[in-house]
Amino acid sequence: MKSLLWLQTGSCGGDTMSVLCADSPSLEELIDHFGIRILWQPSLSTESAASLERTIDAILADQLALDIFCVEGSIICGPNGSGMFDPYRGRAKMDWIRRLAEKAGVLVAIGTCAAFGGVHSAPPNPTDCLGLQFDKTTGGGLLADSWRSRLGLPVVNLAGCPTHPNTMTKTLAMLATGIPLELDHLNRPKLFFNTTVHQGCTRNEYHEYDVEDTSFGGNACMFFNLGCQGPMTMAVCNSELWNGRNSKTRAGVPCFGCTSPDFPLDRDLFLTEKIGPIPVNLPLGVERANYMAYKSLAHDAAPERVLNKKMDT
Amino acid sequence: MSSRVVRIELNRVEGDLDFELTLQDRVVVDARCIGSLYRGFEQIMIGRKPMDALVITPRICGICGTAQLNAAVLALEQLANLQVPATALHIRNLCLMAETVQSDLRQSFLFFTADFCHSKYAGRPWYETAVSAFLPFKGWAHKGALEYSRQMVEIVALFGGQWPHSSYMLPGGVTSPASPRHVLNSLSILNKAIQWFETRIIATELDQWLAIQTNSEFFNWLDGKPGHSDSAIGLFTRIGRDIGLQRLGFGTPHMLSYGAYDHPEQGDKPSALRDRRYRAGFLNGDSGQILPFDQTKVSEHVRFSWFQPYSGGRHPFQGQTIPDYQPHTDRYTWCKAPRYQDNVVQTGPLADALIDGDPLITSFYQSEKGSAWLRQFARLRRTAKLLADMREILGELGKRSGSPHIIPPHSSEFPDGEGYGLVTAARGGLGHWLQVTDGLISRYQVVTPTAWNASPKDSEGRHGHWESSLLGLEIDNPDDPVEVGHIIRSHDPCLVCTVHMLDSDTRISIRP
Ligand code: SF4
Ligand code: SF4
Repeated sequence: MKSLLWLQTGSCGGDTMSVLCADSPSLEELIDHFGIRILWQPSLSTESAASLERTIDAILADQLALDIFCVEGSIICGPNGSGMFDPYRGRAKMDWIRRLAEKAGVLVAIGTCAAFGGVHSAPPNPTDCLGLQFDKTTGGGLLADSWRSRLGLPVVNLAGCPTHPNTMTKTLAMLATGIPLELDHLNRPKLFFNTTVHQGCTRNEYHEYDVEDTSFGGNACMFFNLGCQGPMTMAVCNSELWNGRNSKTRAGVPCFGCTSPDFPLDRDLFLTEKIGPIPVNLPLGVERANYMAYKSLAHDAAPERVLNKKMDT
Repeated sequence: MSSRVVRIELNRVEGDLDFELTLQDRVVVDARCIGSLYRGFEQIMIGRKPMDALVITPRICGICGTAQLNAAVLALEQLANLQVPATALHIRNLCLMAETVQSDLRQSFLFFTADFCHSKYAGRPWYETAVSAFLPFKGWAHKGALEYSRQMVEIVALFGGQWPHSSYMLPGGVTSPASPRHVLNSLSILNKAIQWFETRIIATELDQWLAIQTNSEFFNWLDGKPGHSDSAIGLFTRIGRDIGLQRLGFGTPHMLSYGAYDHPEQGDKPSALRDRRYRAGFLNGDSGQILPFDQTKVSEHVRFSWFQPYSGGRHPFQGQTIPDYQPHTDRYTWCKAPRYQDNVVQTGPLADALIDGDPLITSFYQSEKGSAWLRQFARLRRTAKLLADMREILGELGKRSGSPHIIPPHSSEFPDGEGYGLVTAARGGLGHWLQVTDGLISRYQVVTPTAWNASPKDSEGRHGHWESSLLGLEIDNPDDPVEVGHIIRSHDPCLVCTVHMLDSDTRISIRP
């Protein structure tokens, strides 16, 4: 049995709603078959709030082991570093998190908010919030860069706004069963952050042949004009579909890069920034010099059915 | 008389919600509803491009992001005077309904009925039955709600890519068409959900159940067959009424509804002038009259909130939200106090049903008033209605393959000016009011359903709705006040919803 405590800080509750959508495995399966015992989850626990206090006190007094500690939401430090925009029992929640983190076998940041600061830290960051071990793209989160949990791991960053449901449950299942977790340079589990959203997008053939939509609602690629960040964003959205059904880019919604530390970008989110005719940000690893030549060749080679956007999504 | 103040924190609500209750011999004589988390959402919007609202504002709330998205898109469409094709309105309505059904199932069977398994009730004759139905992760109703709420939002994902948090409603329509594949997949999901709802929740076919018009017909139905009283709604009714929820938690008698689901054939009209499937209105609880709704009569007070004070109330277009955290004063919350024509009001499924004229809910209301039980019952009544509505819309969408789903605006730039979008989210009336200056958002005010219900006192000292629903309540055990949980949860509280938009300083934007 692995004990799990889930607390919310500055959040919208979206990751809790998302984890309820998990189907492979589902949250129920984690409890029934993967040996996870939920000490507390704010939306699901039926115990009284007083019992949460007892649970927290017991963990802090080393009377109760905390194996997996999940934090959902941005760490709110305002006003003036007091953290009192987000208190619990008269004390800043960031202090409780810091103390509980010391007891945790592993600390999991649920969502881009907890990992990097997220939407609440968009300029002007009115509540002075941070991620658990990152402040957007750099270190300097609530916990020091060198911080490690009882099991020797840095904060495991399950990025996403919200996190993909099955990314959450699969990671928790791995932690519960002891399958080793390899992390990327942003401390996200590699297994779920090793492909781009672009890989697996049904609009990919349009992208390859440089057939680009200029307004929303069409079938073609949204990279050149409509702000799609699929080629730069690491996430499973197109390899493990959302709600078992679909993804934003398949449905014609640009990828906004919500698993990235700089989400949400501080610029027009529905427009691709360009220098001359070429986007400022190119697909991961692509050489700018070759890109234009390749694109126009590709456009010339495009088959009629692609040019006419006759394919279905 | 012994007087004491107890602080109660509620779980199974979205966000951070505390109550500070003054008890005199276990009776609540004063109540302060405290939204303790401040996120500063609206300030983030200032200085951004108008369309960014479609990405940022759904993140206000993880449960009702689709409704937030809809409010934002309506505000932008009103600002730019844009038309919407019928297919898009059908798809928007369908997805809004799916999100509401998801929320109502979770609210009812994950958050509300779990309290019936509380050890306080262990001696009651129904206790074992309650546990077998409602115990988290074990009871059949809890398990079914987990399963079918999860499936319900697959419908949103089919049209919008994912749930929660997508941005598929765009000015002029939606991003994907009414593909017969999506329509049939949705129907298949819906058919299974209806079958479950009919067998386990109401033990009756949807149409027959919806045909029940009065409370006496309802009680006849309940006693009609053992299956009826053992269905989830039968259990909810018997248990809820045994512990007296029909006599508790009335709150303010005034109710507000923005109406729900734009008439699909009226996409060429400004959204504020469209007919809606469910009517908008203000129910004056004193006179019993239902009056037309007028958004200019909405105002917000801050006398007891941690915002820089101003006197009286202000309409959202004049709103001011400058945080002023003063923990040791008589101010006590991050919620503002919205008022309608200077009245404290409640919003949510009970208000919606009464204002729309649902006969069964009206019949209960006339004999018992709007109790905690009726509020929760109205929510489940709505689920039945929405499941039937969704079936109808999918039938209509099936015929619309190939019809336009978006009319792209001529320009990607929005004119300067103002617009608002009013929708009904699962918890009631949700409004976005936005102003654009020099092509950028200069003001963004959101008044959420929970802001209405969780409102603190206003400048006249009148308690908000939840607060007043607790006054006079007798509490058995102040350390574990199950009654407070029942009453407050019957309103489906969502504190992450009480966002705050600041217009005090302009955001500095970095542009290339
Ligand atoms: S990461 Fe996204 S979904 Fe999660 S709490 Fe933050 S805003 Fe909500
Ligand atoms: S729409 Fe986005 S994710 Fe899809 S192919 Fe184009 S760039 Fe890639």
